[in-house]
Amino acid sequence: MIAFFRKLRYLARRRRKDEELQEELQFHLDEEAEERREDGLPDADARLAARRDLGNVLLVEEDTRAAWTWMCVEQLLQDCRYGLRTMMANKTFSALAILSLALGIGANAAIYSFMDAILLSTLPIAHPESLVIVNWHDAVRERASVIHGASGNIHNDSETGSTAGIFPYPAFELLRKYDAVFSSVFSYYPTRKVNVLIKGQAEENSGEFVSGDYFRGLEVVPTSGRLIMPDDDRVGAPPIVILSYAFSMRRFGNSESAPGQSILINNLPFTVAGVAPPSFFGVDPSANPDFYLPLHTNLILKLRGGPGDAKGYLDQNEYWLEMAARLRPGVSITQAQAELGPVFHQWVASTAANGEEQAHLPNLLLQEGASGVDSLRREYSQPLYVLLVMVGVILAIACANIANLLLARAAARRREMAVRLSMGAGRFRVIRQLLTESVLLAISGGALGILFAIWGVRFLKLLLKHEWLGFALDPALNWRVLGVTALLSMATGLLFGLAPALQATRADVMPALKQTRTGDGGSRHFFRGAGLSRLLVVTQIGLSLLLLVAAGLFARTLANLQAIELGFQRDNLLLFQMNARQAGHRDPEIVQFYSELLERFRAIPGVTKATVIHYPMVGRGTWMGSVFPAGEQPNPERTTHILMTGTGFFNTFQIPVILGRATDERDRAGAPPVAVVNQAYVDVNFAGRNPIGRHIVVDRRPPLGKRDVEIVGVARNARYGDTRGDYRPVVYLPFTQGSYYPVDEMTFVLHTTGDPLAYANTVRTLVRQADARIPVTNVETEAAQIDQTMSREIMFARLCSGFAILALVISCIGLYGTMAYTVARRTGEIGIRMALGAPRAVVLWMVLREVLILAAVGLALSVPAALRSSKLVESFLFGVKADDPASVELAVAILLGAAMLAGFVPARRASRIDPLTAVRHE
Amino acid sequence: MSEKPRPRVEFLQGTLDVLILRTLLTGPQHGHAIAKHIQRTSEDLLQVETGSLYPALHRLETQGWVAASWELSDKGKRARFYRLTPRGRKQLEAEQSKWEAFSRAMQLVLNPRDQEG
Repeated sequence: MIAFFRKLRYLARRRRKDEELQEELQFHLDEEAEERREDGLPDADARLAARRDLGNVLLVEEDTRAAWTWMCVEQLLQDCRYGLRTMMANKTFSALAILSLALGIGANAAIYSFMDAILLSTLPIAHPESLVIVNWHDAVRERASVIHGASGNIHNDSETGSTAGIFPYPAFELLRKYDAVFSSVFSYYPTRKVNVLIKGQAEENSGEFVSGDYFRGLEVVPTSGRLIMPDDDRVGAPPIVILSYAFSMRRFGNSESAPGQSILINNLPFTVAGVAPPSFFGVDPSANPDFYLPLHTNLILKLRGGPGDAKGYLDQNEYWLEMAARLRPGVSITQAQAELGPVFHQWVASTAANGEEQAHLPNLLLQEGASGVDSLRREYSQPLYVLLVMVGVILAIACANIANLLLARAAARRREMAVRLSMGAGRFRVIRQLLTESVLLAISGGALGILFAIWGVRFLKLLLKHEWLGFALDPALNWRVLGVTALLSMATGLLFGLAPALQATRADVMPALKQTRTGDGGSRHFFRGAGLSRLLVVTQIGLSLLLLVAAGLFARTLANLQAIELGFQRDNLLLFQMNARQAGHRDPEIVQFYSELLERFRAIPGVTKATVIHYPMVGRGTWMGSVFPAGEQPNPERTTHILMTGTGFFNTFQIPVILGRATDERDRAGAPPVAVVNQAYVDVNFAGRNPIGRHIVVDRRPPLGKRDVEIVGVARNARYGDTRGDYRPVVYLPFTQGSYYPVDEMTFVLHTTGDPLAYANTVRTLVRQADARIPVTNVETEAAQIDQTMSREIMFARLCSGFAILALVISCIGLYGTMAYTVARRTGEIGIRMALGAPRAVVLWMVLREVLILAAVGLALSVPAALRSSKLVESFLFGVKADDPASVELAVAILLGAAMLAGFVPARRASRIDPLTAVRHE
Repeated sequence: MSEKPRPRVEFLQGTLDVLILRTLLTGPQHGHAIAKHIQRTSEDLLQVETGSLYPALHRLETQGWVAASWELSDKGKRARFYRLTPRGRKQLEAEQSKWEAFSRAMQLVLNPRDQEG
């Protein structure tokens, strides 16, 4: 043991030890010489004799050093030093190799960080493995279903059918009975945005309604105060709220003082009972609730999305509540599924109203919940896999580059290796030396790659800013990612260093020794030696084409999306939202309140036009309902999209009214109810007849009932909800007439001169003056909101173009390196050709032809592959086919151009070879 | 003084270490003095190869049997002095008894008659 530590210590102080040893040996020599002098020898002879006596000083030093430490470590350090020296001697080579590898590894680590956060991480709770998410699955989504009403996400897949995690309350009570399978069953659903007033500050926040067992079931320990208990979750219990840690820090400054305080949620008092731990975010990583309320407080808050009254809790056909459960120890998820599947089936069958509903019943589907609800994974796994494939391709290209550069260098060092081998160096020792060098390169590349990865993660987060805002996950480089990166770089170093090392140390020493410095003359050998490197270049060109084609497809998708005709003008519009109802405003005063605010906004200097709508035009979905011509039967196949508008709507968005008139101040409460419809609505419901003056029936949810309104105008089609696909039938109703839904949240739209966002503060001041309890939210421009609807396409187009450029650059480096090397090796041959009268143009063409052949072979192999593999991204494309010929043609053209460019420099150098100098080299 | 060159004895594997340790039993010495001491005490029968002396000294140091420090020699020059550590002393004892047993055994086998007589 002592020896071990001593050896370690020697490693650290080896330079001093070396000097000491030299001094010690010098002392020995002096002593010895002194002794000989005393014996009567002259000074010079005495010294010589002492030297002779000691023998080879260097050998003694070497042997002594061997006693200090381990030979292998010693040699490794030696190899590393030598490797670093070679790296420094070939700065361009090393920089190119390290840079291309760093880019490849950095891109991979960055994308992998995101995958790690989204796809692989587990919930930050105790025993995540025993958590089960309860879902239902229906192979075919039929019209007739036991699900009469649903609030929440239902994932429809054309192949597998629909899946969702929402249930009626009675289903929750049913599963709770099976406590032999589950140790606890708990439920929750989002509150969506509500008005939270704390210390006079109003904000729009969202939380989660949770059942009494929620925190106990998830085994969460409060940071301060207490969490919700079963007794809090009943009708008539004192209303309490649990805050998330981040929320209590933000609104109270700390987590200790919050418990006991009273806060207003939608103007109703709640007492803060406790604060959840910092890492806790519930079971859905895509939601990041600010607070948690007992489930039954939804009866006093009466928000959209849940049951409005106690009767709603008994409704067996209204699906709204999400569920999760803890498996009892020893019970597997398969057992639970086997036991509860039939139980649920029996229950759901009893809720069917008729035979048609009976025929299509949803089945219970238990899913592992260790990673939480899979909404994020569902949405992002495919894009992430596509991105991972892309960065994988880049890494492959980078590795080919490393191998190619190493190969070229190994060939250039054949003589050096041959000299070493012939002087008795073991082949293994030489290979180890070469491998050390390539691993050194790889490690440097990997280290730089981590730096790139840090930037990459930041850059990706910036790119995903809008989508990432509400997520509880924070992708960052962690040990898992770093481990993978380290492994990756070591593996590339070893793998791609091995082939050149083996090739360079082939036992055939004599030809290498005889070979002249500038080339080996015979092109017979040349082709054999360069075969592997050519193969690599061809592969690189092929892989680059794949990325270029993908970039082309995404760029065209983006261009198509941006060229979509919206039907309204998007420039210079400021959007913001507010919800006066949550701050205590009620009918009919709320309509008055909004109308007056609108007038005040219109009076802001610089605001030319303004209106108010109950839903943004794009990006947030639409309100759908049944609106059918009076006197006809409602057709369930025809969905109409409804938008409640204020005055000035058509003017502000510049949507032309092509028949009749736009709605205006005349259409106030009490006046005859009117509507403007769009062309698509006329086409679907009136089939060419003039609709002006006709009446339509708006079917409103109970208890509001049907409402008869008169069509006074027809507007040209404009986008509402989605920007893609056909125009959909839209009915515009004045929000003042109560023709549809009671007014609550509204979106104001101001047309401004100059930058719209410059008016945000004025707007906030005006709203605060009108009612300080109302927060202004979602302030943005219409143009930005439209961009958000294609954020994924924008991201793909940008990333993929970036990746394609990266791949192209790395490939060109490889191509350039190979050609430059080829030219250097053929200097002699080219010199002779030129001496024999070959014109420069011929030499230039000779080299370029080779580049072209390489590129052509690469393209010939990869064009079919590109056409086939682009199917992978088909679902991300818009307005362009996966085998789009234009994208492929463009990619081929770019690649050929880049290849020629990369080949031109060495070709020109070849054509400038001075025959005299070249021939003299031979 | 005899002019006849004395026969030299070849070192057996591992003997140098014991000889060094034994030499240092009398007190700290530098490398050159150790070599001379071994030579002198063996009546010049053992000629220490300086080429193997220093590697051996450093090996012993790594093992922790000797310790080294820079001190001034008799002639006032800086020299690396080696001295026996307690662990080295123990090692010497062990090695010495091993050698004695070995040499006795060799004696017995090579000169069986001495025993009979």
